[in-house]
Amino acid sequence: MRRKKAGGRSAKRAARQTSSAVFQAFIDRKIPYYELLDEAALELIEHNADTVLEEIGIEFKEFPEALALFKEAGAEIDGERVRFPRGMCRSIIQASAPSEYTQHARNPERNVVIGGKRTVLVPAYGSPFVRDLDKGRRYATIEDFRNFVKLTYMSPGLHHSGGTVCEPVDVPVNKRHFDMVYSHIKYSDKPFMGSVTAPERAQDTVDMAKLVFGDDFVENNTVITSLINANSPMTFDATMLGAATVYARHNQATMISPFILAGAMSPVSVTGTLTQILAEALAGITYVQLVKPGAPVIFGTFAAAVSMQTGAPTFGTPEPSLIIYAAAALARRLGVPFRSGGGLCGSKVADAQAAYESANTLQTSALAGVNFMLHTAGWLEGGLVMGYEKFIMDVDQANMIGVLLNGVDLSENGQAMDALREVGPGSHFLGSEHTQANFESAFYRSSVADNNSYEQWKEEASMDTAQRANKIWKKMLNEYVPPELDVSIDEALQDFMTRRKATTADRDY
Amino acid sequence: MNQEAPLVDFVEDSALEDDDIVLADLSDDELVDQMHDDLYDGLQEEIEEGTTILLERGWSAEKVLNDALVGGMQIVGIDFRDGILFVPEVLLAANAMKGGMAILQPLLAASGVEPVGKIVIGTVKGDIHDIGKNLVGMMMEGAGFEVFDIGINNSVDDYLEAIEKHKPDILGMSALLTTTMPYMKVVIDELVARGIRDDYIVFVGGAPLNEEFGAAVGADYYCRDAAQAAELGPRVVKERRGQAVA
Repeated sequence: MRRKKAGGRSAKRAARQTSSAVFQAFIDRKIPYYELLDEAALELIEHNADTVLEEIGIEFKEFPEALALFKEAGAEIDGERVRFPRGMCRSIIQASAPSEYTQHARNPERNVVIGGKRTVLVPAYGSPFVRDLDKGRRYATIEDFRNFVKLTYMSPGLHHSGGTVCEPVDVPVNKRHFDMVYSHIKYSDKPFMGSVTAPERAQDTVDMAKLVFGDDFVENNTVITSLINANSPMTFDATMLGAATVYARHNQATMISPFILAGAMSPVSVTGTLTQILAEALAGITYVQLVKPGAPVIFGTFAAAVSMQTGAPTFGTPEPSLIIYAAAALARRLGVPFRSGGGLCGSKVADAQAAYESANTLQTSALAGVNFMLHTAGWLEGGLVMGYEKFIMDVDQANMIGVLLNGVDLSENGQAMDALREVGPGSHFLGSEHTQANFESAFYRSSVADNNSYEQWKEEASMDTAQRANKIWKKMLNEYVPPELDVSIDEALQDFMTRRKATTADRDY
Repeated sequence: MNQEAPLVDFVEDSALEDDDIVLADLSDDELVDQMHDDLYDGLQEEIEEGTTILLERGWSAEKVLNDALVGGMQIVGIDFRDGILFVPEVLLAANAMKGGMAILQPLLAASGVEPVGKIVIGTVKGDIHDIGKNLVGMMMEGAGFEVFDIGINNSVDDYLEAIEKHKPDILGMSALLTTTMPYMKVVIDELVARGIRDDYIVFVGGAPLNEEFGAAVGADYYCRDAAQAAELGPRVVKERRGQAVA
């Protein structure tokens, strides 16, 4: 009797060493959204946002181009203050902004769809510091940047390479964007974000992308998504507008993000904050559509509450959850993709506070229907620190979100009637035919959690979560193998960078 | 018949209710205590009234400043640090203090009294974030400082112009962005180049900074928050003046 070779022990050992996370390019949501507010409440907020836009207006600082475009479109210009007739922003946005778009990766299998019923999970963004158990808290370097790009590449639960996965403070300010963008291209093949700290750096990002994808492809597709923050309250600044303009002109995506620490940059109420968020987003997204109708945009908001006691930002508390749920609904009604949430926490270290605050925010973000979840992994200390152990803990959560949003299997196999009949009362299911057929993929297996007996845990050095995570990231970096990058593209990129860097002296600004 | 009615009428007819205080009726010590309470409660008009009364009683502006105002704000600072008073309440208290200071300022200047300290504060070039800086300014005012806030996006020249004009004890620089904080070194290097670095105490602050960074760019102090800046400010100015005299 001939039968297929089963592979024996070595095959099993090899197969079981890897994470149980299944690779998917992005999450296709199959469960409903948690809808917090009813129609009347959402209409009230939309009405009030229009009032803010009409009566108070939004400032567009040191950027006459924006004022000119708004004036042409029918807004009232008063110095740098722009006031919008009711409904103007919404109709401009709904006329051209895509409800979803594809961001291409250099490996087409990694392309992501942003918007609609999709969720894309992205590492944290912007931290000047990093932390790990061995070296503690320190300023981030380009080496740390590369490490996080590699770790993200190796984590199936993260669909996007992100952007400023930490700020490499050891590279001159005016040149670090080259090394950052290059790292995303070289050490990963997932889609990435562009530099926004100056318009010329945005242009450099576009130019580097063109070396990878080709000029025409970049102009006719989206290969970069970039973060454009409002200077809340109710202000957009020249740096952000400049970068947004460059990206929009080249058909690249921008994430218009009110940056809200509620109580400081917005009113102390959830409803007031939502109103302001919507007003700012409407104005910013309208600007992008006026620059280039149809340029992909994301309605993004960062929202946390400030401690009224100290003025410091807080995370994982109920009010930002309420904000995220409601803002997601507002974005759906507007018809554009939504960004918010992530694994946010205020903790300095990857401890219990970090875990529950992040879990609170991640769960909320998943149930709310966030399409682009920046800050999913690595966030510590209010965004000041990118934590190595925290990253691993969050990636585990990210994997779980992928499973949760996949919903419930109602097929015959999922119904398991055969198993129920086979086992019946009193026995157990562990060896039943159905279980044998399904066990491997039945339940998500955490990469970080310890579920062993006390004695085994003690035998294995009584490690806590952060210590286990520490071992994991080191192992991952050790085992990292870069995705192949065409040699001629690599050379072209390096040549471009060398030439561009040579044109200016190193600067601290 | 209602026996209580006449009593109630009598009380309501009185000009005063139980919790009305007439500041002018209080002794000096009682008035200072009351002003501490009024500062704590952020009552600007009451502070202005109390300040005026003490001056009318012959108090020097300096004594009013130190005993009534600065003394009161120190209590506010302690309770803020201990989490009893919240940020909005501290801002109200600082505003009340400012009300009193406005009355005292010209008198202090006229009598040649040195202020607790002077600070020029601004956000660095390329950075337009100012909430933290504004809080520092308010807390420093609460501590009795004269604050010259030069706003956001300040170049080296903007800082130089301001310190030339105001001759502060402290130069304060703030940044929120990792990409703008290095500019602090540019400013400090220029002070060194012009041989005026030692004329000023340099404070730096902002989310992406730390003590090591402050030292690396050549600042004297890194302040982790507004409360620390307001506690440190008067102390370092006093130390420096003590040294100057010696």
